[in-house]
Amino acid sequence: MKRIAMVLMLLPPLVGLYSKTLEIEVPKANIIGTPAPIKSMNLEPKAPRPKIEVPDGVTNVALGKPVTSSDDFPLFGELSFVTDGDKVAMEGNNVELYSGPQWVQIDLGKECDIYAIAVWHFMTQERVYFGVVVELSNDPDFRENVVAVYNNDIDNSSKRGKGESLQYVEANEGKVIVVNPPQKARYVRLYSNGNHANDKNHYVEVEVYGK
Amino acid sequence: MKTAGIAGGGLILSSGLLRAQKNTGGKTINLALVGIGAQGERLLDSLLKIPNLNFVAVCDIWKPRCTYGFRRVFREMKQKPEQYEDYKDVIKNHAKELDAVIIATPDLWHSPMTCDFLEAGVNVYCEKMMSDTIEGAKKMVLAARKSGKLLQIGHQRNSNPRYLYARNRLLRDVQICGKITACNGQWNRAVAKDLTWPKNQEIPSETLQKYGYKDMTQFRNWRWFKGFGGGAISDLGAHQIDIFAWFLGARPKSVMASGSRAYFKKDWAENVMCIFDYENSFQDMPVQVFYQVLTTTSGTGGYWETFMGDNGTLQISESPKLTKLYKEHNAVPSFEESDWTPLVESGVLSGNPENQDPKNTGPSPDLKQFYFPSGIPGSDKPIHMPHLENFFGAVRGENGLNCDAEHAFEAEAMVFKARESAETGQKLFFEPSDFVVEG
Repeated sequence: MKRIAMVLMLLPPLVGLYSKTLEIEVPKANIIGTPAPIKSMNLEPKAPRPKIEVPDGVTNVALGKPVTSSDDFPLFGELSFVTDGDKVAMEGNNVELYSGPQWVQIDLGKECDIYAIAVWHFMTQERVYFGVVVELSNDPDFRENVVAVYNNDIDNSSKRGKGESLQYVEANEGKVIVVNPPQKARYVRLYSNGNHANDKNHYVEVEVYGK
Repeated sequence: MKTAGIAGGGLILSSGLLRAQKNTGGKTINLALVGIGAQGERLLDSLLKIPNLNFVAVCDIWKPRCTYGFRRVFREMKQKPEQYEDYKDVIKNHAKELDAVIIATPDLWHSPMTCDFLEAGVNVYCEKMMSDTIEGAKKMVLAARKSGKLLQIGHQRNSNPRYLYARNRLLRDVQICGKITACNGQWNRAVAKDLTWPKNQEIPSETLQKYGYKDMTQFRNWRWFKGFGGGAISDLGAHQIDIFAWFLGARPKSVMASGSRAYFKKDWAENVMCIFDYENSFQDMPVQVFYQVLTTTSGTGGYWETFMGDNGTLQISESPKLTKLYKEHNAVPSFEESDWTPLVESGVLSGNPENQDPKNTGPSPDLKQFYFPSGIPGSDKPIHMPHLENFFGAVRGENGLNCDAEHAFEAEAMVFKARESAETGQKLFFEPSDFVVEG
């Protein structure tokens, strides 16, 4: 049976529960070229990153893990870029997937307790990506026991249900998604449906913090 | 189809205009794309939206980028262009079937590639600058004349519907600015690091050397190296320096420039400020043009050109949000259109003429601000698309070129002279012969 549960994003951040503050490295900014104008959208205001406290032993469990995708032949780059640990902001340091709704999926190798996910779609221009949905599951086909931990797909363009989160502008800061309460899953799947500058989908890096 | 087209748009028309052309509008054009870097990708974004193009070949010395071009054409057009590293193989294998080639390589290759394709009977759309040397640009003009083929240069603003509206309707028909006495423009960008490249995607050193590059760093950052590109005044400034001359309908008589290499310490100046003096605009007025290109700060609002007159100022940019008009408070009484309300009512302009902040009652209140009307046909297209469509229309014999080599050469002359002035610190004067290629 297909079950999609939305984690309660209104819960307070993971503060006071654990001993360790999660440090996620932010690449240096490197905006290049002429930006495509961002027309008025209902955008999330820029805010400091949430403080996330996690248990000892939480690391980026996605590092070096295999990546699959709805697009078997990326237009540019390789799917391995998504988890290769290289998040330097430079042209060409991303995998580019075809237009329309596309996803990438990371196999963590085993079920993990997941506390946070960080995603960088594109870094050398400020971009708004559409239909961003992040789901967790132990089912590699994402048919059973699927948990959505983020969804800003205001018009259900990624076909994973309409989301309530606001769209956001990202560059070197990327986007940090707090998984609260923590979820158990082996697979992480991230959807998008183009961006404000073109209809393609890009990923520089995805980090999954768990143990 | 395989035919030549009509050229036009410059002060001197290329020989293509003199040839009787058969109108084959709408027929499929066989096309090659040479150079699929950042600019080639932007052109490809538009090319893939233009109907009746058949991609015969894609070419880039960097294999991942060549593959990128192929995959996009294959997936979006269901076509299978041949992939090449060397453009000479494109000519050898496909010149007879090609109607046109799009060249978006580093500047040093523009002239030899363009001349070879023209000689092989292929119409050329080549990115600006025409060349990294004035001699290379001259060769391109001569090659276009000799071949009778079309050569469009990628000053895409020459086909931008908003720029055409500004130049023809606002500045000339309704003379919105009144008498234009000064122009101002800028393109300011934040500091950016040198371009690098993904792991395991280096071009083999023997391939780099075959095409003139010392290493990957030079290949990726060619714009800043002498012998490869021309620096900021060439990469960014050329577009806008061309616009000033085109809008004013004139050529400058002198240029005085200053450049700085203190920050990046590259071959070419990262920041250039220059003043062009025009003797006679289309209004028979002298005009001073100040232009700056900065690549060490993006302050004061991006990129735009302004045309400043005694009745108002037009600021135009490829970014619609930076395009606006300001009406002078003390418009010239004799100027019939000093009241812009009728222009708003008739749809020539947009905006409420009474939207001035009522609290601002000081001696220098803000100038009243107006906007372009919405719905200018074609203004919603990607910025390179109208210029490419103009080129393909010319290949089909439907229209002239909006920026042929003769016209573009005038901009080359201005840019090279400004760069020389920045390097020598001297005010330099133009001769009429500087703008024309003899032969």
